[in-house]
Amino acid sequence: MLWLALHFPLFALQALSRGRVPRESVDVPWAIADGREVLACDARARALGVRPGIGLTAAWALAPQLHVRLRDEAAERAALEGIAAWACRFTPHVSFEPPQGVLMEVEGSLRLYHGLAALTGLVRNGLEEMGYSATLAVAPTVRGAWWLALAGCEQSITDPARLEAALAALPVSAACLDQEARSFLRSIGVATLEDLLALPREGVGRRLGAALLESLERALGKIPEPRTMFVPPARFSARLELHGEVEHAEGVLFAARRLLVQLEGVLAARQAGVRRFHLVLLHRAAPAHVVEIGLASPGRSIERFMQLLREKLSTVALSRPVEAIRVEADAFEPLHGRTAGLFRDVHADREGWIRLIERLQARLGGDAVHGIGVAAEHRPERAWRALDVDERPPRGEIRTGPRPLWLIEPPRRLKDAGGVPHDDGRLELLAGPERIESGWWDGGEVARDYFIARAPSSALLWIFRERGGGWYLHGLFA
Amino acid sequence: MFSALPAYAELHCLSNFTFLRGASHPEELVERAAALGYSALALTDECSVAGMVRAHIAAKARGLKLIVGTEAGLDDGTRLVLLATDRRAYGALCSLITVGRRRAKKGGYALSRSDVEPLAESGALALLVPGEQPEPGAARWLAGLFVARAWIAAELHCGANDRARLALLGELSAASGLPLVAAGDVHMHVRSRRRLQDTLTAIRLGRPVAQCGHALHPNAERSLRLRMRLAQLYPPDLLAETLAVVERCGFSLDELRYEYPEELVPAGQTPASWLRGLTLEGLGRRFPDRIPDRVRELVEHELALIAELRYEPFFLTVHDVVRFARERGILCQGRGSAANSAVCYALGITEVDPGRMSMLFERFISRERNEPPDIDVDFEHQRREEVIQYIYAKYGRERAALAATVICYRPRSAVRDVGKALGLSAGQIDRLSHSLTWWDDRSRLPERVREAGLDPASLVVQQLLEFASALVGFPRHLSQHVGGFVIARGPLAELVPVENAAMQDRTVIQWDKDDIEALGLIKVDVLALGMLSAIRRALEFVGMRMEDVPTEDPAVYEMIQRADTVGVFQIESRAQMSMLPRLKPRNFYDLVIEVAIVRPGPIQGGMVHPYLRRRQGLEPVTYPSEEVRQVLERTLGVPIFQEQVMQLAMVAAGFSPGEADQLRRSMAAWRRKGGLEHFEGRLLRGMLERGYTKEFAEALFRQILGFGEYGFPESHSASFALLVYVSAWLKHHYPAAFCAALLNSQPMGFYAPAQLVQDAQRHGVELRPADVAASAWNCTLEGGALRLGLRMVSGLSEAAAHRIEALRPFASVDDLARRAELDRRDLGRLAAAGALAALAGHRRQAHWLAAGVEHAPGMLRAMPARETPAAFSPPAEGEDIVADYASLGLTLGRHPLALLRERLNRLRLVTAERLRRLPHGRVARTAGLVTCRQRPDTASGVIFITLEDETGCANVVVWRKLAERQRRELLGARLLGVEGVIEREGEVVHLVARRLFAHDALLGSLAVSSRNFH
Repeated sequence: MLWLALHFPLFALQALSRGRVPRESVDVPWAIADGREVLACDARARALGVRPGIGLTAAWALAPQLHVRLRDEAAERAALEGIAAWACRFTPHVSFEPPQGVLMEVEGSLRLYHGLAALTGLVRNGLEEMGYSATLAVAPTVRGAWWLALAGCEQSITDPARLEAALAALPVSAACLDQEARSFLRSIGVATLEDLLALPREGVGRRLGAALLESLERALGKIPEPRTMFVPPARFSARLELHGEVEHAEGVLFAARRLLVQLEGVLAARQAGVRRFHLVLLHRAAPAHVVEIGLASPGRSIERFMQLLREKLSTVALSRPVEAIRVEADAFEPLHGRTAGLFRDVHADREGWIRLIERLQARLGGDAVHGIGVAAEHRPERAWRALDVDERPPRGEIRTGPRPLWLIEPPRRLKDAGGVPHDDGRLELLAGPERIESGWWDGGEVARDYFIARAPSSALLWIFRERGGGWYLHGLFA
Repeated sequence: MFSALPAYAELHCLSNFTFLRGASHPEELVERAAALGYSALALTDECSVAGMVRAHIAAKARGLKLIVGTEAGLDDGTRLVLLATDRRAYGALCSLITVGRRRAKKGGYALSRSDVEPLAESGALALLVPGEQPEPGAARWLAGLFVARAWIAAELHCGANDRARLALLGELSAASGLPLVAAGDVHMHVRSRRRLQDTLTAIRLGRPVAQCGHALHPNAERSLRLRMRLAQLYPPDLLAETLAVVERCGFSLDELRYEYPEELVPAGQTPASWLRGLTLEGLGRRFPDRIPDRVRELVEHELALIAELRYEPFFLTVHDVVRFARERGILCQGRGSAANSAVCYALGITEVDPGRMSMLFERFISRERNEPPDIDVDFEHQRREEVIQYIYAKYGRERAALAATVICYRPRSAVRDVGKALGLSAGQIDRLSHSLTWWDDRSRLPERVREAGLDPASLVVQQLLEFASALVGFPRHLSQHVGGFVIARGPLAELVPVENAAMQDRTVIQWDKDDIEALGLIKVDVLALGMLSAIRRALEFVGMRMEDVPTEDPAVYEMIQRADTVGVFQIESRAQMSMLPRLKPRNFYDLVIEVAIVRPGPIQGGMVHPYLRRRQGLEPVTYPSEEVRQVLERTLGVPIFQEQVMQLAMVAAGFSPGEADQLRRSMAAWRRKGGLEHFEGRLLRGMLERGYTKEFAEALFRQILGFGEYGFPESHSASFALLVYVSAWLKHHYPAAFCAALLNSQPMGFYAPAQLVQDAQRHGVELRPADVAASAWNCTLEGGALRLGLRMVSGLSEAAAHRIEALRPFASVDDLARRAELDRRDLGRLAAAGALAALAGHRRQAHWLAAGVEHAPGMLRAMPARETPAAFSPPAEGEDIVADYASLGLTLGRHPLALLRERLNRLRLVTAERLRRLPHGRVARTAGLVTCRQRPDTASGVIFITLEDETGCANVVVWRKLAERQRRELLGARLLGVEGVIEREGEVVHLVARRLFAHDALLGSLAVSSRNFH
């Protein structure tokens, strides 16, 4: 057996930052934090003195422009699964080492890929294309390879006879010990695995536990190590944040490539292709925009994906900045031969009203159809809000004064004759004033006295007098 | 026109002491109500009278009638406003608030209808504040309880349907028989506070203001409104009814009389006779041979004054507390204006002997000033709790409680809370608030705002600044005063409400020390002082009492003049140390001055240099008049103490004692509130009239401004100076005992144990390591040597140390573990400290053996397994030093920099000692461990760094420009290299930095903690 271990030392950072187009001139230092402490940071931050483990306040003192993101463990998990799925293209034997490692058994793949050097080269290039930097190490045992990678030793040990010497040189920290064990070893002057192996075996077991002895023997190949293998999923969905809100197609293409490389790997692993995939453009405050890319025949080549996507995006105007993207593909087909029924829509029947809404949206545009609900706001024009078509309005009563069903937006200015409002004649004030002074926080501040008035036509009007200003008609009571 | 308006009194008004609801200070409400011509104002903060004294003072000044009341929400949703008619009703009101507050956790309250019943019997008045849907049941209940003393508050706020509302309330009135009265539910003094009030609502609800919806008030009508406007809104009879309510409220806070506890005086004695007896008895002890005539006269004079002002019970109270501490062997000392009296000396409250302090006496109690006597008593910091428990036990929790401290919004908290209310993200808020240099220097704001990803010109940034500025100074919550106890004869809750403090089993009253002082109540300050613990321990080591310490020992002053004062009380800080060689204290009074002069007040007032020049004879000592000479002669014509400023205002500007006292109060507060301006005119005019020059007058006023809240009273300084002298005397004569006492009293003082130990070593003290074979829990003396105690071992429990001490000797690590019942963790800690050396040899071996001990202490264990021995090479010296620092915080080995010296030499870095001998202006480079980084309030942007190496300390000054350019080195480096220019003034040497270097790589993993920016 021969194991290739991938360790991602900057994983917490890159899982969130790899969608960013590198631009030397404007890039700001980046860091990932967990609550109040820096967990990982990029080279720019490092150059300013930021280090993992320091507090955020200290980090900002060192680098005031530091961009800080909170750690997103779900995103990291998803990203690691993405890498594992992609790695399945090289070997069926891929194993997970959360939170930041992937292990591949590659002995059977060497011939196909023309040797170890060529294979590791491909893996490294692929990871770089996806936006990850990794330490790669090879050893005859899975644990040995992982410890080498964890210690940052980019070695290829193929000869089992050389394994012990290679591992002996590693610092004890490579053996995944907990903090207490590490500080104990430091206190007795044990720095490397060689020092550790030189101690009496039963004495070490007594102090650090039998699990450590077993772990050492696994790494050295004295006892076997069973691993659970990763099974690549039958559909693909991966999300990437762009940061800085990309407003041009190139930025989207750059990030999309990182995901499509991943898709290609997953498809290769399953010896499958797709006839179409979706690129979902996510905006900050607007519904997502879905771009569908169809292939005339099933395929999985990254270059083909990119070419189609480039063409498609050139016809799509990015109306809003894109905050994140998602690539989705299901319906994997074996690349040779396909089955019927893939295109059968099993959920063809839908409720009639949903179809009506879809048709209305298709005709009028997605934004033009919505539900309506009340909002807790003193300003009448903001006391309602649009709901998504399938959203239920919240229960509960909101008490306000009398409100007309029809609001006139924007309010219409009324004639003012000696302080009395006129609209086709003098208006008679029936009730009021109801004074509303609110909304300073969003620039839409109002200061109004509302009245119910009777028009000469006997219509009941809702009018207001602006503080220090004139009269306006704001609503009609039905 | 004005008089044609209807008369009105506001009966329902919240100040910002209803935290996060009221948007105006009590004083602002009073001012505004007076300006609007209101007949009276009721301050009715929610279940609180915390703002009442401030309102009371303001109302007296404006001649406005103030009604004491409170708003209370009951658990069934009923909302009431309760008003005090007389002293009895006021007591019942305070009791009700106390009941509600004591029942809930800090900041909350819980009341139900049954709690209100005692209040009804007291004669208080009640207003029902009906909710959206008036509840007839509540009105009937209230009408039945407060017969002919309850109303329904009709509060109209230009809502959707005021007319219908009024009609509804009219029905409620008819049904219950309660009359209607107009009220305003006032939350702010002027309409323009509306936005701030909305912001407070958002902070209270913990969500952005844009999401607060109907929780916000729809308009600004909850302000103190023009009477003309009220006349438009309310029927006249409802407005007139407010006066009928006011008519029945006759209570004023001026009626409160403080009543001392009675039990201090035995039957058959009066307070005066008992105090006289105790005083004379004490004098006999103090002067066993013969009481000096002068002292006897002084005592008679003071006793007469005390009797006239009826302060005997206060002195007896303090005496009782001090007597208790003495009996328990707790060292304590009084300070403050009354503490340095002959009576207090006789009673043992202070040790400042009238013989030494002749020039100080007679000023400490003054009939004219009519201020309550001020005595703060400091106790050993680790034993103050015993004293507090004694007070609670003696007087009961109903009669003794701590004064409150009003915690106010400061810029950082204001920016954070307002930022949240305006919907900024947590990251943006952190970014804006982590450094607030922009708060005082607005030119730096745009940069900081852009870093947070905001546009400096945007609305949200403008609003943030506006509201945060307005919020600064708003009270946030009540906290406990550090130690000011209020003790009453009867239940305290009838004098002022008592509520729970954050600390368990602590209660605070709703007034702070200014409130207490303003009402003439008296508090006894029970404070904690670390140095007293250290002095008591050092005296125990050498078998002396404090009064045995010989006075005016020239050798001690010589040591002080050399600034050889590490560990000495007060004069050990860097600023003090740099002053000592210039000031050269020669006697006790010089120490009194030294303590007071190196403080922000005198420094900012520019008193330090004139005093120094005069003392050094570089400048003639002159006085503009004989009166001024009498006030300033003892400080060479330069005002240094707070008392001197007041006396100057009286003798030179014609202030009355009362005005001088007001000046003192304003001095303490002007930085927060302003308000010294009107004294300026008075002062300048008064002095010009009395023939002083304009220059002299203006200089004095500038000094008063500089004094501000930092002005230090001579009376405090004198008590502190005594501790300075005693601690310096101990350091000089018994350096080992003094160092051990300091180590046993940690944490305290300016220096960490490492520095204290190094200083002791420099003074020839032999230090011995912590060792399970020899050490006790505390540091001890072995002949002349100092043995470190096991308390220095990080993480080791005191109980484990006592077991070790009791069961010695041990045959092996395993024997130790078994008999002293230590587990692997304890053993690991001892190994880390090197304390197992006697049993296990070097540290690596000790760690290995310690970790080999089986778990489960105290259980039956098999004999230790015969282990294959493991061989370890001994640790290098550097490794041991690192381990020493990590566990003990100090090393008895060589200083870490001694190990690096050769490499430092190659880098041409000189030692601290060499640096001290370089001439002024020379460029030099040095490096040392950063032991202290300080940014004093008084030095704009300058940072002081102390570097330590094996020869001592070097003082580095970093100007702001450099600090910004080399942030990384400045904040990050533990081993800091500095290239700079020597600045020498006599013995005092600073290195003014030009460049900084981080040399951490040389240190490896050496862990040295540095005291960072406070």
